Amino acid sequence: MTCDSVSKLIPLYYYGELNADEEDRVEQHVDSCAECSRQMDQQRALAAALDRRQATVPPFLLENCRADLLAAIQGGAPRVERKQKGPWALFLEAMASTFAGMSRLQKPAGAVALIALGFFAARFSTTTSPNPPLATSIGSTAPSDDVFATVRSVRSDPSGQVQIAYDETRRRTLAGRPDDQSIQKLLLAAAHEDNPAVRVESVDLLKERTGSTEVRDALLNALAHDPNDGVRLKALEGLKPLASDAQVRKSLSQVLLADTNPAIRMQVVDLLVAHRDDSLVGVLQGQVKREDNSNVRLKLEKALKDMNASIGTF
Amino acid sequence: MGQDGAAAAGARVTNQVDALIRAAQQGDQDAFEQLVRTYDQSVLRLAMNLLRSAEDARDVYQEAFLRVYKNLDSFRFDCSFHTWLYRIVTNICLDQLRKRKVRKEESPVVDTPEGPLDRMESFEEDAAESDPERSLWNRQLKQKIESALEDLTPRERTVFELRHYQGLRLRNIGEMLGTTEEAAKNCLFRATQKMRAVLGDFI
Repeated sequence: MTCDSVSKLIPLYYYGELNADEEDRVEQHVDSCAECSRQMDQQRALAAALDRRQATVPPFLLENCRADLLAAIQGGAPRVERKQKGPWALFLEAMASTFAGMSRLQKPAGAVALIALGFFAARFSTTTSPNPPLATSIGSTAPSDDVFATVRSVRSDPSGQVQIAYDETRRRTLAGRPDDQSIQKLLLAAAHEDNPAVRVESVDLLKERTGSTEVRDALLNALAHDPNDGVRLKALEGLKPLASDAQVRKSLSQVLLADTNPAIRMQVVDLLVAHRDDSLVGVLQGQVKREDNSNVRLKLEKALKDMNASIGTF
Repeated sequence: MGQDGAAAAGARVTNQVDALIRAAQQGDQDAFEQLVRTYDQSVLRLAMNLLRSAEDARDVYQEAFLRVYKNLDSFRFDCSFHTWLYRIVTNICLDQLRKRKVRKEESPVVDTPEGPLDRMESFEEDAAESDPERSLWNRQLKQKIESALEDLTPRERTVFELRHYQGLRLRNIGEMLGTTEEAAKNCLFRATQKMRAVLGDFI
């Protein structure tokens, strides 16, 4: 083997990318050649130097990325479908997802039939038929295209007539500036919606308007109770300017003790220590003992150290 | 754990991942979330290491997993999910690196809402150096390493990153980048040559 060919193989040798035969030949040459032996040492030194520049991922980055992704998906990122599905396949899928959702809620199985029927009725009602409808409505008009129906009861009489009672929900759109009163009111309501993407968006808009007590309470409520990490992070962001407010601090202390997400606990510590008060030391000391996440614990210990407080209680 | 044990554990993980993919393909959101959580830390670390910017890494994360979400139905199990995912991630990172090359050298100091931040600061520091001379030398070495890495082409940079930091085999790297193992070997060789030339006096 020539020095030139060995020189080309040295990086591959170092990274274990040669077969056993090639490895032997490189080793034999390097053992007997000072220049190639120096190159091999240089390769090892280079790798060792590079080992020391591993990037550290900032503490909240992963949690923030996850929350962003969840919000984007739940906000309706479209899936690329393999093929167009027929109405029957769509119906079966909808049935399957209805059943899956129900099983998560652990509702009695008997209720499933009603919901499935409700779904079917809703689909049925929004289909425009070329023939005039044979049904007549009692006490209200038949559902139209922008109406979502929930069937409450179904009765048939001996004459073959079927009577269905349903609630209808009509979709409307309201546009306006975020500080319009009606928009504000809807945003506050949207912060309690089932869809987490709706909650993320509304809390994100609300957090710009923390001057109002209602908004502040909505953010505190979202931070303390929302099951979605993304919503809680947005609420926490909105509460930052209010970190000196006594009631906000009380809630933050509770969140520090109760929140399951370490990224949120880290941010809460930052907010709390930015405005020092006497009760804070006790809260931090209490948490440092029970904290199971090493990053949060280090942060708590550092905060206590900065406040010249001991890490344990006496 | 013996080799058989490791192989069995590997097969178990693959089976679990395959089950998650199939469930996610059927529309199971929880399965998709678990799938993301299985890989997202290494994806984020790769993006951080390559792009050295939390903001860019966040964009890569979002774009990569959204592409996975949108196209999961087209995943046919004809390569490993890891390879498929990394093909997406490396493509996005390569695009970012190429755009940067066009914009040319960026300042190592970036503006953030919390004030200016040195990109180098986001890298692990060695244990505190008591010797100031040693500490200065280390800082210079770090800067040299950064500029050596900047001099690599986006493709050399990515191959080097995947081999050195992510520990992937060159055969897999070639597959991810849509090229041959031989081409990946050449990239790795050129990358190490360039870096040895720049860092010669320091190492």
